[in-house]
Amino acid sequence: MTGREPRARLGGTGRLADDLYLLAHHDVTGRPYLQPRAIGIGLAGTLLAELMLADRICIWPDGVVAASRTPPEDGLALRVLDLVVSERERLPARDWLLFLARTAAQDVAQRLEQSGYLTQASPRRPWRAERWVPVDSDCAFAPLTRAQSALNPSRPATAQGAALAGLAAACGLGSRLLPYGPPGARRCLDEAVRQLPSGLRDLIAQTQAAVDAAVLTHRV
Amino acid sequence: MSRQQARTRPGSVSRALARDRLGVPAVLFFVLAGVAPLTVAAGVIPTAYQTTGLTGIPAAFLVIAVILAIFATGYVAMTRHITNSGAFYAFVSRGIGRTAGVSAALVALQSYSFLQVGLYGALGPAAASEAAAHLGIHEPWWAWALVAWAVITVLGLLRVDITGWVLGVLLTAEITVVVAETVSGLAHPAGGHLSFATLSPASLTSAGFGTFGVLAVVAVLGFVGFEQAPVLAEEAKNPRRTIPVATYFALGMIAIVYAGASWAMAVHAGTGHVVATAAQQGPGLLFGLGGSGALSQAAQLLFMTSLFAAALAFHNVVWRYMFALGRENVLPAALGRTGGNNIPKAASLVQSATGLAVIVVYAIGGWPPMADLFFWLGTSGGFGIILLLALTSVAVIAFFARDPRGENAWRRLIAPALAAVLLAGIAVLAVLHYGTLLGVSAGDPAAWALPASYAVVAVIGLGWGLILRTRRPRVYAALGLGAHAVTGQLTPAAGEAA
Repeated sequence: MTGREPRARLGGTGRLADDLYLLAHHDVTGRPYLQPRAIGIGLAGTLLAELMLADRICIWPDGVVAASRTPPEDGLALRVLDLVVSERERLPARDWLLFLARTAAQDVAQRLEQSGYLTQASPRRPWRAERWVPVDSDCAFAPLTRAQSALNPSRPATAQGAALAGLAAACGLGSRLLPYGPPGARRCLDEAVRQLPSGLRDLIAQTQAAVDAAVLTHRV
Repeated sequence: MSRQQARTRPGSVSRALARDRLGVPAVLFFVLAGVAPLTVAAGVIPTAYQTTGLTGIPAAFLVIAVILAIFATGYVAMTRHITNSGAFYAFVSRGIGRTAGVSAALVALQSYSFLQVGLYGALGPAAASEAAAHLGIHEPWWAWALVAWAVITVLGLLRVDITGWVLGVLLTAEITVVVAETVSGLAHPAGGHLSFATLSPASLTSAGFGTFGVLAVVAVLGFVGFEQAPVLAEEAKNPRRTIPVATYFALGMIAIVYAGASWAMAVHAGTGHVVATAAQQGPGLLFGLGGSGALSQAAQLLFMTSLFAAALAFHNVVWRYMFALGRENVLPAALGRTGGNNIPKAASLVQSATGLAVIVVYAIGGWPPMADLFFWLGTSGGFGIILLLALTSVAVIAFFARDPRGENAWRRLIAPALAAVLLAGIAVLAVLHYGTLLGVSAGDPAAWALPASYAVVAVIGLGWGLILRTRRPRVYAALGLGAHAVTGQLTPAAGEAA
């Protein structure tokens, strides 16, 4: 231990899943805006997107494959890559989304705690599990502005911003994201997503399909 | 995800996902929760005895169970090969064609909407009579219907998993009460003689061959909900086994419970008197089977919760259709959007608005809720489901005609052909005797307007399908895929329907 605790910064960690986690929870109370399974699937999508943006994995029509075995710096990203590399079968993105969704919220919350963005608080009721709350509400709100970068027609969207906004809308955060955007934000988002590489586009569509299927089967 | 998980053996992802999937009991629970047995046993059966004046209802339940089992053979076989198999229009789109699929989608929406809204016509009077008897509150039926409507509207906008749990608890209690009433009724037959007359096939055509069409619609109305198992096909542990087993088990269970309950009512009141007794007692025909004690009180309370559960279940079915069609851009895209907590608020609110409008119109018109709202719209909803079952059977034949996909001739051709002929025949008989079904004269406007409304909706659907085909080919291409429309891809097993 160095004695220096990590501190939350407005600029964020630069990781998609961290931003989506903060976007999907209240910036003060940490209360989720979505059903648990939808958050899990959305975070699973961002974990895969992080590896895609870092050129570590690719999504082909027949499944997810490792593009490079160079270990990512982040421990969680490394564990996901290890799983993809070690899996015997070539699995479709949908299977990876559903598999990673089971533990993604806990994994990303722990990563955010290590980065100084979240802290564990006692549950409001004794029988409830411990909950995560943002350390700084401004830092927890900031991902919304980063996602908005993809909704502004006057500025070209970055791949990171478009992927964040696309995955956020895919898991059901559209109603949180779009009211803050300029007029025509939905069209702008669609256009920004269309400009993404095909693998990321496919991942966003698969994420939305998985969340929609969960809504339709009442298993969200 | 722990380090141990990271070092997991190859193939473990598939195994982990399989552990999360649903087995037969969970799928069966989901199906039966929407069936709401007491709604049919206390609501539909006595009203059917009274309105139609026919006594062959117990036999009709058994015969329709066999016909639906034949239908289910091809239905569950095709479920294994398509996505979005929880919706009839997906079968029609992939089998007959996407234009017909739009038509089927709108007919399904109308059918389930009729079934849902009709339930307010039984909920209101049931709650009004309970409140008057036990609480001394004397309010009209529509006031209680509006209370139920408000609660369903709110629940529809809350977390959907809560409602599923509530439905399950109610189901268990309902089946217990119906079975107890049935046993008690059979133990006390009128005149001390246990008559099997209403179970005889001869009772199906007692007032001419057309009688069977009328009885069949009533029986199918009781079974509506059995077709919901494929909704969970993608979540099932073993779709080849889980969905068929749950479907057949549900059919068998519903047939025994309903045939038993309706037989017990006829036995207890006497076959010759059951129609008159039903007219006097209404739902009391069931509640009186076990005397007037605690069982009867429990049954009357559960009747209300059952109606409520059924209204909620059909509310969920309607928004599910609207949400899927909104996602596919067949209906306005706003219906396919979710708000906080992933609830499709727009779709849910549209169905609530429909319910409100119908309750208000019936209240202003002063029309009898039990006969003209509950039974008319309920049976018309059941009639719409028969049309969809017949169309789906044709779709199954067409789908497998292009590629048998390893299914044997019984599943892909013989059973669906038999089902299509039988169900189409029932639909024709029902149209010809719709007046008897509703308990009105043949020339009454309701006797032709209600079945004709399906023809109008079907034609609108065909027209809209053709417009989508020419003006929005991308939407048209993904039609029938439901949640998967967004991926714009057909699964490897997907059909090639035009």
